[in-house]
Amino acid sequence: MTTTTTDRVSSTPANTASLADRLAEVWIELEERLGQVPVLSRLAQGTVTLDDYQRLLFNLRQQVVDGSPWISRAASNFDIDHFELRAAAIRHAEEEHRDYLMIERDYVAVGGSLEDLRRGRKNVGSEALSGYMFHYADHPNPVGLLGAMFIIEGLGAKRAAGWASRFQEVLGLADSQVRFMTYHQEADSAHTGDLEAILTSGLIDDAAADEIVRCAQVVARLYALQLEELDR
Amino acid sequence: MGTTATAYLTGFGRYLPGEPVDNDGIAARLGGEDRVTERIRRRVLDANGIRQRHYALDEHGEPTELNEELAVKALHAALDDRGVAASDLRMLACATTMGDVLVPGFASMVHGRLGGGPMQVLSASGVCASSLAALDAAVSKIRLGDHPRAAVVGSELASRSLRQRRFDGIRSGMDSHFLRWMLSDGAGAVVVEFQPHPSKPSLRVDWIRQVSLAHEHEVCMRAGMAGSAPAVGGTWQDVAIAEAEAQGMFQLRQDVSMLDDLARAGIAQFEELVDIGLIDVRHLDHVVCHYSTNAFRDVAFEALRRRIPTLDTDRWFSNLETRGNTGSASIFIALEEAWHSGRFAPGETVLLAVPESGRFSFAFAHLTVVAPPDQQGVST
Repeated sequence: MTTTTTDRVSSTPANTASLADRLAEVWIELEERLGQVPVLSRLAQGTVTLDDYQRLLFNLRQQVVDGSPWISRAASNFDIDHFELRAAAIRHAEEEHRDYLMIERDYVAVGGSLEDLRRGRKNVGSEALSGYMFHYADHPNPVGLLGAMFIIEGLGAKRAAGWASRFQEVLGLADSQVRFMTYHQEADSAHTGDLEAILTSGLIDDAAADEIVRCAQVVARLYALQLEELDR
Repeated sequence: MGTTATAYLTGFGRYLPGEPVDNDGIAARLGGEDRVTERIRRRVLDANGIRQRHYALDEHGEPTELNEELAVKALHAALDDRGVAASDLRMLACATTMGDVLVPGFASMVHGRLGGGPMQVLSASGVCASSLAALDAAVSKIRLGDHPRAAVVGSELASRSLRQRRFDGIRSGMDSHFLRWMLSDGAGAVVVEFQPHPSKPSLRVDWIRQVSLAHEHEVCMRAGMAGSAPAVGGTWQDVAIAEAEAQGMFQLRQDVSMLDDLARAGIAQFEELVDIGLIDVRHLDHVVCHYSTNAFRDVAFEALRRRIPTLDTDRWFSNLETRGNTGSASIFIALEEAWHSGRFAPGETVLLAVPESGRFSFAFAHLTVVAPPDQQGVST
């Protein structure tokens, strides 16, 4: 086992593929993994319960409250040569820092207790994800976080609304009970548009591209872990 | 168009104060033992068909409970039936004809006594159909996804207005005697949620309709004014209390000559619901109908049977004869008894019908019995 681990870590990805192609590959891998996540496969099969939805919101909320803080921290670590990225991060942090309130309203609207929700702690996947993000945001010019954004915003833009309408379909929920997930389709689509503009702007050199892909891989794995480890 | 949730009735409760009072026990509570009153009472009772009822009055005619207490006891019964607590509610909608006090609103008082946490409250005033107006409000908020769980209660303590002291020295006609020997006390409640009961059947609310025809009808049932139309300076709030009492403003009165019109109008409303397709007579299994007196039972039953030839008495439910006419509480008290009798089976539909004489209002609710989610999974 140790030898294979060493092999994996030492193998640097071939840089011949474009950044977009490399990120697309990470995305496909994430999609495959999400298909194995118990709560999402129950959602797909139509056997998901109200309790599942409440647990999902409960678990997401504990990590989403940290979303804006890590982006802000990253913003403060971009120097003046990365002014555009700093500006984008500041904007983004501002846009996101009330998002957890939407989860809280959804949670209460489906019968959850706000007090319980606010007393909750991160699951082990959320701990790992949040810890990694803060750790990475502390680096000088943490350009790799664009990879994290690619994953997190991508989930919001491409998957969340589908989850929302499937939860509505299976559990008979009103629009006002799935606001967090439906909102993210619009908001994160705008964000991913911004992100693509940055990724293709020429600001990203080969070393930065490697960082971005690596960060995307880690965040994809940890995000899935967060969904796998509900309540643990 | 947005997506809404579905509202389900998941808990049913009622509270009827004291022991049932039969026809011979009424006078002890309400008075009116003189021969003329006695004769009127017999005649009214023969017509309305009520054999027993409940009063929140002791054997001397003194009140034993507040209206808000009746409401809270029915709510507790409904919450227990569902297996939840008052702290699980986010909305409370209360219907009553007259609360215990003028201010504040009845729902505030009921919430204060019930406890639980912060919640939206609504006091629906009116008469019998205020029950379904309150239900409609709660169901709408559940459908919007604004609240996961609400409770609705209809509650009446009419007996206070029916006692002899309200009749002493006042010339009372049939308009007040008709109600005096018809109305009684009680409360009925339901729990409304956006999910069906997890392990027992529920009633899905398909629609609720309430309509007023006050634009083309005079007042039929009233209190608080001398005649049948309010006059500036002439309501109970304008004149001295003693004068208001002397004029009989504190008696509940009903213009009985208008009741045939009321029945016709109610039947026309039902016909319209059939004609616009809201009621599919081929798939209507049960009717729970509120009516004030058995005189209207046959009228309503025959009118419905004209459109639903297969309607028989097994599918028609009323407990007027044994629980009395409890105004806005009646439909919930009837629904509770019908529900717990086990006469409804999953897949069947139920129509609630509530005519209100006050100034010609009519409310209907269409419900479908749904099996608990685990059993639905098995059957499909």
